[in-house]
Amino acid sequence: MDRPASRPWVAFAWAVLAVAVVVALTPYLWIVLASFKNRVDLFASIPKWTFTPTLANYPAVFIGKDYWPLAINSLVISTSSTALCIAIGAPAAYVFARMDFPGKEDLFFFFLTTRMAPPISIAVPLFLFFTALGLIDTIYAVVIAHTSFNLSLVVWMMRGFFADIPREIDEAAVMDGRSRLGAFLFIVVPLAAPGLAATAVLCFILSWNEFLYAFILVAFEGRPLTVGIPGLVTPHGTLWGQVAAVAIVATLPIVVFTFIVQRQLVRGLTFGAVKG
Amino acid sequence: MDIVFEGISKVFPDGTAALHGLDLAFETGEFIVLLGPSGSGKTTACRVLAGLENPTGGRILVGGRDITALPPRLRGIGMVFQNYALYSHKTVFENIAYPLRVRKIPRAEIERSVKAMADLLQIGRYLNRKPGQLSGGQAQRVAVARALVWQPDICLMDEPLSNLDALLRLHMRTELKRLHRELRKTFVFVTHDQEEAMTLATRVAVLRDGELVQFDTPQTVYRKPASRFVAEFMGRPAMNTFDGAVAGGNFRAAGFDLPVTGLPDGPITLGIRPEQIELVDASAADAVVFEVDVVDHVEPDMLIFARRGASGLIVRTPNGTRGPEHGALLHLRFPSGAMHAFDAKTGQRL
Repeated sequence: MDRPASRPWVAFAWAVLAVAVVVALTPYLWIVLASFKNRVDLFASIPKWTFTPTLANYPAVFIGKDYWPLAINSLVISTSSTALCIAIGAPAAYVFARMDFPGKEDLFFFFLTTRMAPPISIAVPLFLFFTALGLIDTIYAVVIAHTSFNLSLVVWMMRGFFADIPREIDEAAVMDGRSRLGAFLFIVVPLAAPGLAATAVLCFILSWNEFLYAFILVAFEGRPLTVGIPGLVTPHGTLWGQVAAVAIVATLPIVVFTFIVQRQLVRGLTFGAVKG
Repeated sequence: MDIVFEGISKVFPDGTAALHGLDLAFETGEFIVLLGPSGSGKTTACRVLAGLENPTGGRILVGGRDITALPPRLRGIGMVFQNYALYSHKTVFENIAYPLRVRKIPRAEIERSVKAMADLLQIGRYLNRKPGQLSGGQAQRVAVARALVWQPDICLMDEPLSNLDALLRLHMRTELKRLHRELRKTFVFVTHDQEEAMTLATRVAVLRDGELVQFDTPQTVYRKPASRFVAEFMGRPAMNTFDGAVAGGNFRAAGFDLPVTGLPDGPITLGIRPEQIELVDASAADAVVFEVDVVDHVEPDMLIFARRGASGLIVRTPNGTRGPEHGALLHLRFPSGAMHAFDAKTGQRL
């Protein structure tokens, strides 16, 4: 790995990267273009790369169809579920990283298995569950559902980050006069901040993108943007321009976030997790 | 005020027994060194005193008060860790100030205490740096400053010098001795290095397999080792020991005989330190003859490794007297006052 790669291999690597970028970006670019097209251009039988752009789709859906509160809902759901995930998951991960107790690894694996079932398989139980709780069709249901499936991810990633911090650091804090909890909150958490941030961003992205549970658990109040999109599929045809406009707005925060924390995110998903 | 380990036992959850009813008591202001090979329980004993481990049996008393159940923060004990354990996201100043901040000491006083402690340890210039920008020796000083800045009664050091290179280790050793003299706190120092124990300690506690083997001043431990184990552990090169048997005033080992007095008949282990063996002329009557194997020059001395039959020994003598060749015959005298006798089975001093 330390040896510089030979020239043909470098060229090949660039070629692979180029293909990957084209494959990944073309649909996105197409959606960006679509969000600025009128109906005629959208349905042109030969796809148009050049056209007279229209800004009508955005106000039409966000103001005309009153979709802007959905963006607020998405934000509220993602932020609260992320906050909950970190608040519950980070201490749990810390315990997994530091303490030994019978059945620890089994319990850890059990947390992971909650991510292994196909989401649809627990959709109906989840629906019944929230109905029984009287939370169906509320924003709380979505927040709790998202928290429950992101929690395992937090525990999994953060365990590695905490394990990277030497045990003596906690002990030094305890000897310096902190309680166990104090050492965790005031010394370990700040040291794990980059990892925590990366984990939080990942939680945020997953919650923001989530469609299935949100779609099943809320119909009107508390709908996030993702659930709003199917509403644009009308009996009179799909409003592709508006779908694209919503999709662009829905993806923007993720693009921004990923650029901000991509370094930590890669680290979090490789080093930290593997070590855990 | 004194510090007492009263029958301290520690069995870890995985079944490892680190301490078996350790009894140890020392005075305030002492420099106590816990010495032993790895697995002797010295670090565990230190961590039990710190409160980082809960003993599975026994009590810890400080000044007559039972502190066994107290959390570390209420024990008034500071600690220096082997790998320094500095907070890498804080500056050196904030690292040292941390115990004071936790205790909500007024800002001006923190400033004053940190400065004073930093000056004492000669790290005043680095207060604005982050730990990552320090050398090993500087990081070690910061760790010591942090452990002492809040004036704890007791300061624990768990192998604090073992991550430093040889020269720096020697230097820090002197520094610690000076620090102890100036601060007059109780220092408890864990090490496997007998030289550190010899130079630093007011008293050395030698541990082996979770038990206290000997607890005395370094000089006594060196001159009157309580057992064969201590004898071989203290002093480099190690004490020469010979397994054999006494019969009628004559000690017979594998390969040579030695006249002895005042020892009962039966199997016994005799020991003598390499520097106490005398080189004598071939004409000397009571000389034992060994054959030179290897000579090491450790200026200003030389170490002669010699053999006789199945027995081997090391002689330490000033260099330049004679430079024996491989295979040359050495005439040695074992002064009877320098001989140590140990029970052949238990290894206890007789």
